Amino acid sequence: MAVEVRIPTVFRKYTDGRSTVELESGTIGDLVTQLEGRYPGMREQLLTPEGQLHRFVNVYVNDEDARYLDKLDTKVSDGDTVSLLPSVAGG
Amino acid sequence: MRELRLPEAVAEDMVAHCLEGRPNEACGIIASSDGEVVKVFRMTNADASPVRYSLDTREQFAAYEKLDQERWDLAGVFHSHTRTDAFPSPTDVREAREDVPYIIVSLAQDPATIRAFRIVKENWTDAEGDIQEIPVVVEG
Repeated sequence: MAVEVRIPTVFRKYTDGRSTVELESGTIGDLVTQLEGRYPGMREQLLTPEGQLHRFVNVYVNDEDARYLDKLDTKVSDGDTVSLLPSVAGG
Repeated sequence: MRELRLPEAVAEDMVAHCLEGRPNEACGIIASSDGEVVKVFRMTNADASPVRYSLDTREQFAAYEKLDQERWDLAGVFHSHTRTDAFPSPTDVREAREDVPYIIVSLAQDPATIRAFRIVKENWTDAEGDIQEIPVVVEG
């Protein structure tokens, strides 16, 4: 069993069109590293140059917003689902 | 995409949600199945503002879960302009992140007008983007 990461449409050009990716458990930061290893360019899409989550990305672990957990240090276990959501806003 | 085809009930549902949201902007997403738009997800404008909107992220998460369960696709994001034309504002362009049609419902006239646009960016974090209109066809 692994961690299922759900990829929104905006990132699928990096994931060969895949809507879900299976990764090994760890922290969300570890998942970003694994994504970058498999799909170069993903790290830059998700993190700022300072290494923080872009404000345009919301990360849910199962049904909890990681911003209210431990952000990139949030632990993710086998069987968990991580959803990446782009913020949708305007005026 | 050459055009965005909306069943009349979908268009009416979006407009009704936008009218009910006044004086603030209203927002939501639409879903498609095999290319046909099948569902409107009305959402809360987390900004509760007449000039700004952002999807409530928890509602967005729940809606995307539903898309996944039903094997639907995200067909577009919609929001209202309560007093201006149905054309992307500078804020709309700056904040556009999803690679799907952005549908704008203008309530400046009666009846409301619906137009759709793609905001094309080299990188999704870019503030600048090209506006490309997608003709909207409402099917009765």
